[in-house]
Amino acid sequence: MIRLENIIKKYTINKNNTVTALNNINLEFKEGQLVVLKGSSGSGKSTILSLIAALSKPTSGQVIVDNKQISKLPDNFAALYRRDNIGFIFQKYNLIPTLSVQENILLPLVPSNLDEKEVEEKLNLVMDKFQILHKKDAIVRNLSGGEQQRVAIARAHVNNPKIIIADEPTANLDEKLSRDFIQILKELKETNKTIIVATHDPLFFNLDFVDQTVCIDRGNLQ
Amino acid sequence: MLLSPEVLAILLLDIIFVVFSLVAFILSVKIFLQWDIKATTKLQYTLEKQSFLTATIIKYIFALKLPLFLFFIFTLDKISGVLTGAMCAAGVVNATNYGVYLFILKILNIYVFGFWLVLHYLDIKKETLPYTKIKFGFFSVIFFLFIAEIIVEFLMFNSLNPNKMVSCCGTLYSSASSSSYISSIFEINRSVLLILFYGSFVGMIFSYLFSHKYIFSFLNLFFIIISIISLIIFFGTYIYELPTHHCPFCFLQKDYYYIGYLLYILLFLGTFYGLLVGFISDNKQRDKKYILSLIFNAAYIIVVSSYVVIYYMKNGVLL
Repeated sequence: MIRLENIIKKYTINKNNTVTALNNINLEFKEGQLVVLKGSSGSGKSTILSLIAALSKPTSGQVIVDNKQISKLPDNFAALYRRDNIGFIFQKYNLIPTLSVQENILLPLVPSNLDEKEVEEKLNLVMDKFQILHKKDAIVRNLSGGEQQRVAIARAHVNNPKIIIADEPTANLDEKLSRDFIQILKELKETNKTIIVATHDPLFFNLDFVDQTVCIDRGNLQ
Repeated sequence: MLLSPEVLAILLLDIIFVVFSLVAFILSVKIFLQWDIKATTKLQYTLEKQSFLTATIIKYIFALKLPLFLFFIFTLDKISGVLTGAMCAAGVVNATNYGVYLFILKILNIYVFGFWLVLHYLDIKKETLPYTKIKFGFFSVIFFLFIAEIIVEFLMFNSLNPNKMVSCCGTLYSSASSSSYISSIFEINRSVLLILFYGSFVGMIFSYLFSHKYIFSFLNLFFIIISIISLIIFFGTYIYELPTHHCPFCFLQKDYYYIGYLLYILLFLGTFYGLLVGFISDNKQRDKKYILSLIFNAAYIIVVSSYVVIYYMKNGVLL
């Protein structure tokens, strides 16, 4: 379970200028839910994702994941929490363009001390699941947008995280690829993953398998 | 003031240290007074960020301090050539009223900074940061020692006068020395001294076997003192192969293959881990600090003893 309690997040631009990205937010997501965070650019969606992923800390309030105060974790423990619990899918994929598909996907496994055989098994499993196995040795920059998105999803999934966070995942995809992506999310949800998607793509708004839609506007819940 | 390039470098670093340690001190006091790990307030989150910054500053000061101590000794050795009468760092240390105090402060600060560092690593090993308040409270105190060291260092370099005749180590470290604290150590019986030296190490082994951490630490504290005295009175003479030469600085020079640096580093590491056992270790558990202390102290004993053995094998007599 993910709980955000009385979250205020302010970004300091300079001494006299702060921007309130989130203003006293209270939210609760249950395990296995697919949640859509809806709002225009700059509404605070990505800030919520970064707080849940322990990429940043709130100005005040707390983020609790499985009864653990994520917002209070020191940086080294926050990194471990991310490694063990979070899979990221970014708008611009954030792949390393000069590495191959399989090299990109195995990156989250590098610090895990798994032996070579286990790594290979996991790699083949996810590449097969997300239909990218036939391109495993291809250099990522030579792939199409849809293929790169599938690599990004495979990378987010490879360490079997409990929570998958997707920030504007379809912003660079056409409608067909976006629908393919939504189908993948549905399959992931069936494996009891908690999925949180921040988007303003209308394709996400009337999906029957979305458990919760949260509307945010200028840091406030609607 | 004697402004050699080395002295300038040290003073410049001192200025940088003062600026950064002042920032660390102000933040440390703030963290010590207001830290509440359970709070989810803006203040606490700010303090958590500031604690990271403060710890980084202190770590870097320590990272520079350690090699800087060796550089300081090297500098004293180098400027001894400019002072009339000085043959090594000993002459420079005793050329002013501040040298001995500066040395004591420097050694003390290396130990306390080391303890702070260990406390810091124990702190960040746990999610709850259990030692944050203590470690920044501790730094708020050691900051004054650190500033005292910098002030005394400035005073010492400022008081060095190349035109003033100073005593060489041969005069300072002799049984006829006029300096009361140096001459008094020559009154100690050599056999008693060696029994205390080797005996304290044997004591350490027993206190390790029976896990008496406070005895182990106390013996290490004793070992620092007895090692330095025995080095001056006994072992040093075998390093120099001269029964009348007792200087604890000359063996830092090239003529003796810089062996002094190795000796002092081994002694520091051995006793540092040894003292740490008493402060931090769990009494029931023999952790690696015991082992590291014993290893470094044993290495120190082996190196100094080997000079005696080699001298005896070469000459068939003892000094």
